[in-house]
Amino acid sequence: MGYNFYDIKEGIKLHVIETNKFKTNLLAIFLTTPLCKENITKNALIPLVLKRGTQNLKTQEEISKKLEGMYGASFDCGVDKTGDNQILKFYLESLNNNYLPEKEDLLLESINTLLEILFNPLKEDEGFKQNYVESEKNNLKDIIEGKKDNKARYAQERCIEEMYKNKPYGLYKLGNVEDLDKIDNKNLYERYQELIKKCKIDIFVSGEVDNKTIESFKENEYIKKLEGRKPEYNINTIETEKKEETKENEIKEKMDVEQAKIVIGLDIFQENIEDKYTALVYNAILGGTPTSKMFQNVREKESLAYTIGSGYIRQKANILIKGGIDVQNYEKALKIIKEQLEDMKNGNFDEDDIASAKKYIISTIKFIPDEQDTEITYYFGQEISGYNMNYKEYIERIENITKEQIVQLAARIKVNTIYLLSK
Amino acid sequence: MQVIENLKVKEKVYIEKLENGLKIMVIPKENMQKKYIIWGTNFGSIDNTFILPGEKEATKIPDGVAHFLEHKMFEQRNGTNSLDTLSNIGVDANAYTTNDHTAYLYEATDNFYEALDEFMDYVQNPYYTDENVEKEKGIIGQEIKMYDDNGEWEAYRNALKNMYENHPIAIKIEGDIDSISKIDKETLYKCYNNFYNPSNMTMVICGDFKPEEIVNEIKKRLIPKEKIGEIQRIYPKIEKGVNKKETQVQMEVSNPLFVIAFKDPIYSEEEKLVELEQNKVKRHIAIEIILYMLLGRSSNLYKTLYEQGILLNQPDLSYEFSKHYGYIMISGQSKDPKKISEGLKNEIQKLKEDGINEETFSRIKKKIYGDYVTEYNNIEEIAMMFLADSFKGINSLDYIEEYNFVTVEYAKQVLDEIFSTDNMTISIVNPKK
Repeated sequence: MGYNFYDIKEGIKLHVIETNKFKTNLLAIFLTTPLCKENITKNALIPLVLKRGTQNLKTQEEISKKLEGMYGASFDCGVDKTGDNQILKFYLESLNNNYLPEKEDLLLESINTLLEILFNPLKEDEGFKQNYVESEKNNLKDIIEGKKDNKARYAQERCIEEMYKNKPYGLYKLGNVEDLDKIDNKNLYERYQELIKKCKIDIFVSGEVDNKTIESFKENEYIKKLEGRKPEYNINTIETEKKEETKENEIKEKMDVEQAKIVIGLDIFQENIEDKYTALVYNAILGGTPTSKMFQNVREKESLAYTIGSGYIRQKANILIKGGIDVQNYEKALKIIKEQLEDMKNGNFDEDDIASAKKYIISTIKFIPDEQDTEITYYFGQEISGYNMNYKEYIERIENITKEQIVQLAARIKVNTIYLLSK
Repeated sequence: MQVIENLKVKEKVYIEKLENGLKIMVIPKENMQKKYIIWGTNFGSIDNTFILPGEKEATKIPDGVAHFLEHKMFEQRNGTNSLDTLSNIGVDANAYTTNDHTAYLYEATDNFYEALDEFMDYVQNPYYTDENVEKEKGIIGQEIKMYDDNGEWEAYRNALKNMYENHPIAIKIEGDIDSISKIDKETLYKCYNNFYNPSNMTMVICGDFKPEEIVNEIKKRLIPKEKIGEIQRIYPKIEKGVNKKETQVQMEVSNPLFVIAFKDPIYSEEEKLVELEQNKVKRHIAIEIILYMLLGRSSNLYKTLYEQGILLNQPDLSYEFSKHYGYIMISGQSKDPKKISEGLKNEIQKLKEDGINEETFSRIKKKIYGDYVTEYNNIEEIAMMFLADSFKGINSLDYIEEYNFVTVEYAKQVLDEIFSTDNMTISIVNPKK
């Protein structure tokens, strides 16, 4: 039981999480590449095209039939943004061999199927299959335009865009509709080849695995064909995330919504690695729990909101405060929120608040190994931050944070952008 | 204590029914860190008209009472809030209300028993005042408005209204601004005192527990309450066929959202309900298999609609049911939802005429087996599943046993019974022009 990793080749890492907690084995492959305007839309399109067909499983229908026959193994893919990287994620979950009605090696088959989808796409004259690319371009357009369907998430995206205008992190993770016209099956395939040659590749396997599993990856023909590389990706550190003093930026936008959404983006002027752990505790006291200042004052005392809270973006040294309110209460809510930020600076919270925030964070850490995808996400987060910390050390770091540290950090937290979406 | 074991998924459930009527289910999971408990009462948004024990007249309550009550359970007489108390010891507590039940829950690691004191205290001791009831109306009002901006929710609600004209299944779980304004502390106490009797409640515990031990710990914390007589719940008769074939509304969405629904006709035929009791798990499985055959990722219809750019993803396919109603819902986002319902009608017709392909049928059955086993990965999901199934009179483990007994012939019978245009309706939320 436990976590290990192996460098298959330079820039290609196999992470093995041995666990007997689950009925399934979960495979994940993450391709990490820098966020950049030139490639972002092409990169986002690649997973959509790959899931359409491979040289051995030519259509989605064939892939689906194969997965159904593998006791409903489920394939999933998506695109994320973590720090200044765009991450292409591919998952395959299938039953652990112990729970099959008949004896089979479903894990080996799962490994080969996932690698086939990623590295052996269906081709047509030196490019991807043309009609797959054209139809997925339309699909991606719809998905990008669907951004506004979830109002809370949309408001959050807009706030980040404003905070990072003309910077990589301000890009939408799925790219933009304007780029789609310039993409065809050939230039997309070129981008795909470049990507898999240069990106950082992390392969995760979680479940009841053994040495044979590790060999199955090493021996796979597609893995063998990949060359070692000095992977191109960004590591976000204290140095890269130095903040500049800015004037508070207030943005109000209109949409026909019943409930207004308010998002406040905070900059954290971090000085050392310790500040990251302090920021986690600060955030929990400010808006991370039901006893937090936001929840107690905006919701419980004033009945202004049902949803109100805050989240810490570790890689980018930001906190986002998010809430849903009646638009006529905007000024009032904003005033109360700002009072809470002042309270934090003035140290108007006690040891009990700190203790409860710490306990809250620590239990979320303890729960990580109880969910397969959460545990993979944890180790991947470590991987692209460039350190390797186990749960125990992580918990210790949180436990050691003092009130003095929190108050000191609070003085270095500034409002960057206030965003309001309303009727 | 009754023990039910399933050798395929390698899980056991221990069931104890206490003298006061409380049902406790324990699903031990030795290797998990997380400990989870959920305590539910069989009181949901559909329970809005009833005759209380000892009374002759029916009581009718405003829409949203079960949900309102859920919000107000956390407040304690000494001025504290149990959500805060639990949060202070690092325990994440929550609650939710559905059509047929309300549930309180928390997850913990080492401090499980410390949290259990508070948890069982607040669920057993209501404290409502005019002031705290008034205060909650602002918060719930914002919750209602949040749902009002959710297109998927709107499509779902309109599909229910299309199927059920006078049945409370079609009302909003949280009520609306007007109905919650009528809720007062007297209504809350009246509902609490009847529906929160142990005989109307079920508890599910999942995690690293010894069944006997946890049951004893629970017994220690139970407040003695008299068993009450039966609450006579009054539901309108479910009419045959749908009330409305189609609804279209406009909202701020990028592409149309849709729900295509089939109302299960069996709930209109009282003489069939006894037999249904025996078959409900099998019937549910058969419906799922048919849905995947019609519109699952490997189906012809999905392939066609995907290639035409009408579907980007497999729609959600589900069958929801309780003791009083049942319906199928197919929901998603599409440029042209009407094409999906047309395609579906044709595909149903074809399947009825050509019969069910054996090979496809057994492949989908394999998939469904995998789906059911996978449900045992996550402690919360296990506990929530056992609770919801228990209120339907089902032991969740039955799904893994019964799937084997669903035959092509049985599926064909279910197909003919439910999948007809008389039972079908569509609800669409279009983008604003």
